[in-house]
Amino acid sequence: MATDRGRDLLVPVGDSETLRRTVTYAVERAHESADSTDDPVAVHFIFPARWRIYETDRESVASASSLLERAVAWATEDLEELIGEDHPPTVTFESATVGTDEYVFSPGDFAAVVGRYAEANEVDRIVVDPSFRPGGNVPLLRSFEAELAERGFDVLEAPVTRRTSRRLPFTEIGLRELFVVYAASLLFYLALGGWHVTDAYELVTGVATAAVVTLTLARVSMKGELPRLRYVGATVLRMAIYTPILLWEITKANVALAYVVLHPDLPIEPRTVEFDAAVWGDMPVTTLANSITLTPGTLTVDVSRQHFMVHALIPGAEDDLLEGTLERFVRFVFYGRESARIPSPRERRDDEGER
Amino acid sequence: MTPVEYLAAALVIGGTFFGLVATVGLLRLPDLYSRLHAASKSDTLGSVLAIAGTATVLGVTTESMKMVFLLLFLFLTSPTAAHAIARAGRAQDVEPVGENAAWDEDEGGETQ
Repeated sequence: MATDRGRDLLVPVGDSETLRRTVTYAVERAHESADSTDDPVAVHFIFPARWRIYETDRESVASASSLLERAVAWATEDLEELIGEDHPPTVTFESATVGTDEYVFSPGDFAAVVGRYAEANEVDRIVVDPSFRPGGNVPLLRSFEAELAERGFDVLEAPVTRRTSRRLPFTEIGLRELFVVYAASLLFYLALGGWHVTDAYELVTGVATAAVVTLTLARVSMKGELPRLRYVGATVLRMAIYTPILLWEITKANVALAYVVLHPDLPIEPRTVEFDAAVWGDMPVTTLANSITLTPGTLTVDVSRQHFMVHALIPGAEDDLLEGTLERFVRFVFYGRESARIPSPRERRDDEGER
Repeated sequence: MTPVEYLAAALVIGGTFFGLVATVGLLRLPDLYSRLHAASKSDTLGSVLAIAGTATVLGVTTESMKMVFLLLFLFLTSPTAAHAIARAGRAQDVEPVGENAAWDEDEGGETQ
């Protein structure tokens, strides 16, 4: 038994966005230390329960055990990827809930229940998920780690980061862009003030406000090159034609949704539809995505380039989407009448299927 | 009451109705994504109708022009916000309810 000490790992499990990758990290570490010998290394997934929820709260019990099951399933997957399906496992997995018979509240309490389990099972390496929140939403993690380290455990923080990028959406812009933003802000300010262009006070405050807005926001409000003026004019004109059509579609969407929502049986049919739209560029794609969200029973979930993922709520919404009416209108607005006449997404998909 | 006031009243009542539908939808629909349908559609039209009603009473003034700006921004921001929430939900692996609604395993990459 003594030789096993120091090889096993313990992972405190909680609902967090980086749990999945923490599991992978723990499995990799365990596999690493198992590789040198024939004895399998154990990874313990531990759910520290809070506030004796187990006495009263069935839902928490269920969610804790499903979380543990998921962790073990993920770990098994990762291990198979490391060693292949047919090889004898180098890592074994165990899961448990601890702290169910006492009030666990402070980081010290959490460290105590986790530590007691670790000692009982002769584990002294603990892998901590950096997003693990043992006390609910309060960020107790740092002292939880410190408490564990104080109890003589090896604390490894899994090197995972959140998926959100912290890069600011700044773009490089030139004088022309700066001028456009400035002019737009000034005109907007004057319009809001009631267009008193002869009033010196309005003018001076407007000029100052527009300057502040331009200096702070010009770099995020512009993206890429400015389009040509003639092109913008035509687009705005066609947008004016599109707006009433969109408004009508929106009204239809709302009546349809009101019917579904107020119907006693709630006749919904949620499904996910994916398709590639025949529009390019930021503005057209954004317009199409927003139009989809505002019209009958559909909601844009994700867009990457021109691949749309749409959640459809009511029966028939999918058909409307694949008929491509909206897409045609958006193409009309941004590319002119000629390019509106192209096959619908359904026809395009069928073509691809035949090939 | 003048005809204009009747029109305004009708618009505001319509707006209130769709606001109510949005609330009922939020309560009755089963998951994050379906609820967003209620929030992004009915709520938009509800506020838009109410604002349009107010603008009708005000006539052609600076105030009603501000209302028009409000309408414009609501139409831009409401679907954008709904999309942001739905996208965040997907990034956090919030699964939609319904047999045909589940995501494909690959991270939204290629189609068939």
